[in-house]
Amino acid sequence: MTSDPSTDPSTPASSEPSADGLFPVDRPTPLPTYLRDLWDRRDYIVRVPLNDLRSQNAHTLLGGLWLVLNPLLQVGVYFLVFGVIMPIDRGVDSYLVFLTLGVFAFHYSQRIISDGARSMVSSMGLIRTLRFPRATLPLSNSVGQAVAFGPVFAVMLVVVLAHGNAPTFRWLGLPVLFALQSMFSLGASLAAARFNHLYRDLENLLPFVFRLLFYVSGVLYSVDHYVDDAVLRGLFALNPMYVYVTAWRWVMVGGPATGIEAAAAVAWALGALVAGFAVFRAGEQTYGRTG
Amino acid sequence: MTALALRCVDAEVTYTIRSHRPLIRDLLRGQRPAAQRVHALRGVSFDVPVGQSVGVVGPNGSGKTTLLQATTGLLPVSAGQILVRSVPAFLGVQAVLRNQLSGRRNIEIGLLAQGLDRDAVDDLVPSVVEFTGLGDAIDMRMETYSSGMRARLHFAVATATSPEILLIDEALAVGDRAFRAKSARRLDEHRANAGTVLLVSHDLGEVRRSCERVIWLQDGRIVADGPTDEVLAAYEAS
Repeated sequence: MTSDPSTDPSTPASSEPSADGLFPVDRPTPLPTYLRDLWDRRDYIVRVPLNDLRSQNAHTLLGGLWLVLNPLLQVGVYFLVFGVIMPIDRGVDSYLVFLTLGVFAFHYSQRIISDGARSMVSSMGLIRTLRFPRATLPLSNSVGQAVAFGPVFAVMLVVVLAHGNAPTFRWLGLPVLFALQSMFSLGASLAAARFNHLYRDLENLLPFVFRLLFYVSGVLYSVDHYVDDAVLRGLFALNPMYVYVTAWRWVMVGGPATGIEAAAAVAWALGALVAGFAVFRAGEQTYGRTG
Repeated sequence: MTALALRCVDAEVTYTIRSHRPLIRDLLRGQRPAAQRVHALRGVSFDVPVGQSVGVVGPNGSGKTTLLQATTGLLPVSAGQILVRSVPAFLGVQAVLRNQLSGRRNIEIGLLAQGLDRDAVDDLVPSVVEFTGLGDAIDMRMETYSSGMRARLHFAVATATSPEILLIDEALAVGDRAFRAKSARRLDEHRANAGTVLLVSHDLGEVRRSCERVIWLQDGRIVADGPTDEVLAAYEAS
């Protein structure tokens, strides 16, 4: 039986079994089959997070309105604090616009990665009961966050336009930027999901990692204003959160951005997605097991 | 010769139970957490032809559940091999998909996760809901369900997609009389459609009713494997 050709991992998918029609049940799925299985789950990946979004605010009076109210209130607080209470110069034209773009862009990645990290451990019942490609879970989390970003983006747009910024051709770059940032975040969340499944210490650590990143990514201040040195600016490109935050501002209202940051935005997206997926898949057989 | 649905070749499952996972404390002290090797299956071999329904009996801790879990591929075999015609569906009692959601949403999620598209799911949900017989409770959160209600829901979800191979671990035992009759009927239909069943149960009446063949496990080994009447007679005499 050990000479059974179907035990050779290089033989094709489970849909093409060996001569007697049998295949080892625990054989790892080859990459093309895995991707096809994921594609077959596309309705899960889209529909489940949409339903979750709908039921998320089920116990509130205002319901789905919170998806819009939340970012709106956030901007309201910034306006109150930085526009009314202490309107000091921070080296940028409109601090409210600057801050709104920075915070919302930052939170988008943070949500995907933090919730993605928990996506395995919070679906143990599903994992232990049914066989399906596990990447379905972090992937569907990302889709849900992307949809939830819609109202956030609308608020962002209102703030930008209300400040007298007319749309420019640079806005055409928005879908590309959004796609790149989503790819990066999904990749990071895949890796985070695996590590958090192994040791849940990660989900305790993540809020602090993001707090630190928040302060070093130029969300609250203009890095450009304080850092002139080109080499030092290059170092900032090593921080993906800085890269995407800066790119959002450049696309929406203009501002300092160099070829380095553009290249970094693409490199982080592709690198994180490929590496994150590889890391996640290497643990495919371990999810749902104890010990 | 009939085609095989399932072939188990010298399957062994060994796992290590640790008191806890190595923590930083242990690493610093150079200690390893207390570990115990458990030989849950010690070389099990059998073939199941397509359309056969096999009962698995044995005392607690004899490896019945381990055998089913290894057959789903969720638990790796440490030696030997388990070969299948298609990936089996598993039904256990403790099974729950997402506790905070309603039974109806769980049915939807379960069907989608099995790779059905949304049109198929929309078509199937009403009949699955109907089959569970849960009535209005279907829209209540699953955390409010009794183990019997969970089993009903899960049985309905797992059999809705007509898997070729069905592994049932005590899942029917918790259901009430009406549901057991209903699930027995569905198992009959399943067999009539050349479906294969592996049924773990302590209810020998149920095994007698739904299985033509019985495997008796003890200490991770097969003690007897044959026609239901013969094996159960020997098992009951032991």
